[in-house]
Amino acid sequence: MRARYPDFAGFVDRDGVKVAYDVFGEGATTLLLIPPSPITHSRSWKGQIHHLSQHHRVVTFDGRGNGRSDRPGSAREYTPAEMMEDMVAILDQAEVEKAVLVSHCHAAWWAFLTAATFPERVSGIVAISPGIPFVGDPNQHWTEVAARWKEDPVDPQGWEMCNPAFWRRGGYEDWIRFWFDLLATEPHSTKQVQDMVGWALETDPETMAMANDEETKGATPELADRLCRSVHCPVLVLHGSQDLCQMPGRGRAVAELTGGQFVLIEGAGHLVAGREPVIVNRQISAFVSSIEGRAMKSRTWSRGLSRRRKGLYVSSPIGLGHARRDIAIANELQVLDPDLHIDWLAQPPVTSVLESEGHTIHPASKWLASESAHWASEATGHELNAFQALRRMDEILVANFMIFQEVVDEGNYDLVLSDEAWDIDHFWHENPELKRGSHVWMTDFVGFVPMPDGGEQEAFLTSDYNAEMVEHVARYPRIRDRSVFVGNSADIVPDSLGPGLPSISEWTNEHFNFSGYITGFVPPSADEAAEMRQQFGYEDGQQICLVTVGGSGVGRSLLELVVDAFPYAHKELPDLRMIVVTGPLIEPESLVVPEGVEVVGYLNRLHRHLSACDLAVVQGGLTTTMELTAARRPFLYFPLRNHFEQNRHVRYRLERYQAGRCMQFHESTAEDIALAMVTELSRPIDYLPVETDGASRAARLISELF
Amino acid sequence: MRARYPDHTGRVVRDDISIAYEVYENGGPTIVLLPTWSLFHSRHWKAQIPYLARHFRVVTYDGRGNGQSDRPVDPDAYASQILIADAMAVLDATFTETAFVAGVSMGGSLAAMLAGLYPERVLGAVLIGTSTWLGNETPERNSAAFETRLDRYDGWDKYNMHYWQSNYRDFTEFFVDRIFSEPHSTKQWEDGVGWANETTGEVLVATQLKETLDENREREVLASIRCPILVIHGTGDRIKHYSAAEELAAITGGTLLLIEGGGHCPQGRDPVVVNRAIHNFVELNAPRQEILI
Repeated sequence: MRARYPDFAGFVDRDGVKVAYDVFGEGATTLLLIPPSPITHSRSWKGQIHHLSQHHRVVTFDGRGNGRSDRPGSAREYTPAEMMEDMVAILDQAEVEKAVLVSHCHAAWWAFLTAATFPERVSGIVAISPGIPFVGDPNQHWTEVAARWKEDPVDPQGWEMCNPAFWRRGGYEDWIRFWFDLLATEPHSTKQVQDMVGWALETDPETMAMANDEETKGATPELADRLCRSVHCPVLVLHGSQDLCQMPGRGRAVAELTGGQFVLIEGAGHLVAGREPVIVNRQISAFVSSIEGRAMKSRTWSRGLSRRRKGLYVSSPIGLGHARRDIAIANELQVLDPDLHIDWLAQPPVTSVLESEGHTIHPASKWLASESAHWASEATGHELNAFQALRRMDEILVANFMIFQEVVDEGNYDLVLSDEAWDIDHFWHENPELKRGSHVWMTDFVGFVPMPDGGEQEAFLTSDYNAEMVEHVARYPRIRDRSVFVGNSADIVPDSLGPGLPSISEWTNEHFNFSGYITGFVPPSADEAAEMRQQFGYEDGQQICLVTVGGSGVGRSLLELVVDAFPYAHKELPDLRMIVVTGPLIEPESLVVPEGVEVVGYLNRLHRHLSACDLAVVQGGLTTTMELTAARRPFLYFPLRNHFEQNRHVRYRLERYQAGRCMQFHESTAEDIALAMVTELSRPIDYLPVETDGASRAARLISELF
Repeated sequence: MRARYPDHTGRVVRDDISIAYEVYENGGPTIVLLPTWSLFHSRHWKAQIPYLARHFRVVTYDGRGNGQSDRPVDPDAYASQILIADAMAVLDATFTETAFVAGVSMGGSLAAMLAGLYPERVLGAVLIGTSTWLGNETPERNSAAFETRLDRYDGWDKYNMHYWQSNYRDFTEFFVDRIFSEPHSTKQWEDGVGWANETTGEVLVATQLKETLDENREREVLASIRCPILVIHGTGDRIKHYSAAEELAAITGGTLLLIEGGGHCPQGRDPVVVNRAIHNFVELNAPRQEILI
């Protein structure tokens, strides 16, 4: 799932070679993002597109040789002149008169060539880690690679693997893996490396060998110098200080020769657009503004003491899970300070709940890229690898952080409340100068834990993510002014954060305050439950079994399995009445059910039904299972396969409460489920009680900040 | 002790009236911080000078009637044409070919006049708490006529020539209290009353009895302004209602910065936001080669 899909996708065809391009957004200025093909393609701009297309028109393309573009078979089809002609053809076809060219690495050569040849088409150039040969500091490795280019090395190591003969006999992938590992000099860059390797493997060694030779064909020291000096449009050079492909001195020299601005990103490597998306996005935006001639906007500035207290609540948008608890906390905060005004930055389906209860939704919410759609897209059947899904949400997280940051830059918020808003917490630690207001971080679990199916690789990745979090918090304790664990210390799993890292329990106890669990409602008494049953039409003597998978589209396969259990269970339990709630994303009519099973799409205030039923069958999400625990209802829960939170954190907590029966979808037959239903219905309820003061405890912890 | 002293000072003399100016040298464009009503003198820019002088060349001067400048008591000496000519004389004397100008209250209207009348000299103007014919009157200012002799002078009735001649200090305390309407403004009030009492009631009466700029002429000049304009006004201004600023920005095509809860002299009471806005304004609108950040 991407953060932004193109508004238009097309091809230019030059002499039978098709080159794919995409157009996003609208604006007075157009940006053409140029990937250094063919080692990568347009997806390498995934951290930029959503943000830049909010304000400008953005055009990206897959350079010939990779992505959706053709891979012509002769070297002369990859020359800089061809690349330039492709770009001009794209601008023509997309009816772009003039564009700001944004290039990475050797694509700077093509950008400069275009600006020198067609100055009327280029209004500015952003050159990220520019690969203009002969200018500034050379990279000795590239010189040696060029010298060995025609050789056929025996057992090459390291940079020696950059050799066409080696690639042709199967060494291409080894080179690519070595090289991107090397280039990602920043710790915790696993996702960026994985992305780059993946895109590089979409082309083939033959194409790479041909194109590599042509990238900057014809360049001489004199020509390079002249080309830079002939660029008269504004130039911005961004360069990482640890760049091992293009030396930072080269970027500095390019800026000097072009009269451009040089921005050094200290500590960053060659993959800055991917690894440092926030600073790169903000620099590009500022550069475009300066070209457009920034006009000052009229505005109101409020004196410090004239301001109303304002909070921005960012509620995790993955399903409806956190909406009720966040509303409960917000309501308690307003009891403590009636003057506190809270804006919500939230997405559907949370926004519909907020709107129905009269909360203020910040208008920028509508620009957010959909996280819940991403999660739905990550599920197959009853399986969802939550950790990998979160990693693959990197593009959406950058996009939504950029929107959030614009909101706090202008909103004068005293308080930012983020309930598992990963983007805010992560990028404020990565860009600590951007923090505004006090920040409250809330979560109901700490620590990524690997699933057995993921093997050693997933264990390595989860501990790398945990290590980054631990380092973030250690280096910048000021980013989380308060950390609230929604639960109790005893709920923390007895696992490790990873090799050489503290245990989850030790670290969480040290860094968090505990609010206790927050259901957001008070469970009904026996009398109230009886009244509710009457109201819902649950007749005396009926045993009501509710089957629900929540608000996301994930869970259809569970519904299908559970309804098949009904005939078996019904034999044992003649008074059993099964009601299946499909949720907004599954059509009730599309579900084939045995006779006797009722199907509804939606039940108003589902948690009230759950707290009055006799038995529930649900997924392994924390919110629903804890609602059932608080209401002391029997239930079966099926964690999504490979979902570390449901399988480890939630299950551990429910077992502590002695609540519910955990079942594995992939190992359960309809008969098994029927039997479990019968057993669970007859089990005495000895759950530990769930506190009802969690929201007010959380609010008190938060209110200490103002 | 000041935060920053001028690099050089000088005087221009016009019709025997001597006007004192200060220059804070720097590269980049010049900004002239204009005088306001003779109630105050150039020290009312004390929170701006050190900061702006790090980025731009800054010129200030004391308007006739206060500070280091002469204090004529003839109303004709305060005619608006004369005040405009003083400003141009200071520009010439300091070899300032082009400049940004900024003014507060009556200084704001002076800045606007300069921008309209001398487009070849003025690069842009910052108009703060500007007194013009525009906008609504603040509801509280419904006093008796300035020349009417009264038995008692309460509240805005103190805005009266007879009262100034007999109880000038009390008037200044009252008026400066209305200028700094924000809570906790004791220091700004003390400063303001101090500056006001460096001149006399007699001088101030003269400034009020001068010929005033006709409303239609003012509108005509404002509408002729072509340079960039930044209008700054407090929503809590008790001297000049902020609706004037909204109109002023609309007529001049300027950018409006409203300071919610701000009073009549935000440059004194909210110096940070005003300094940053002026800096940003000059930086954005300065001819490119003159930018020196």
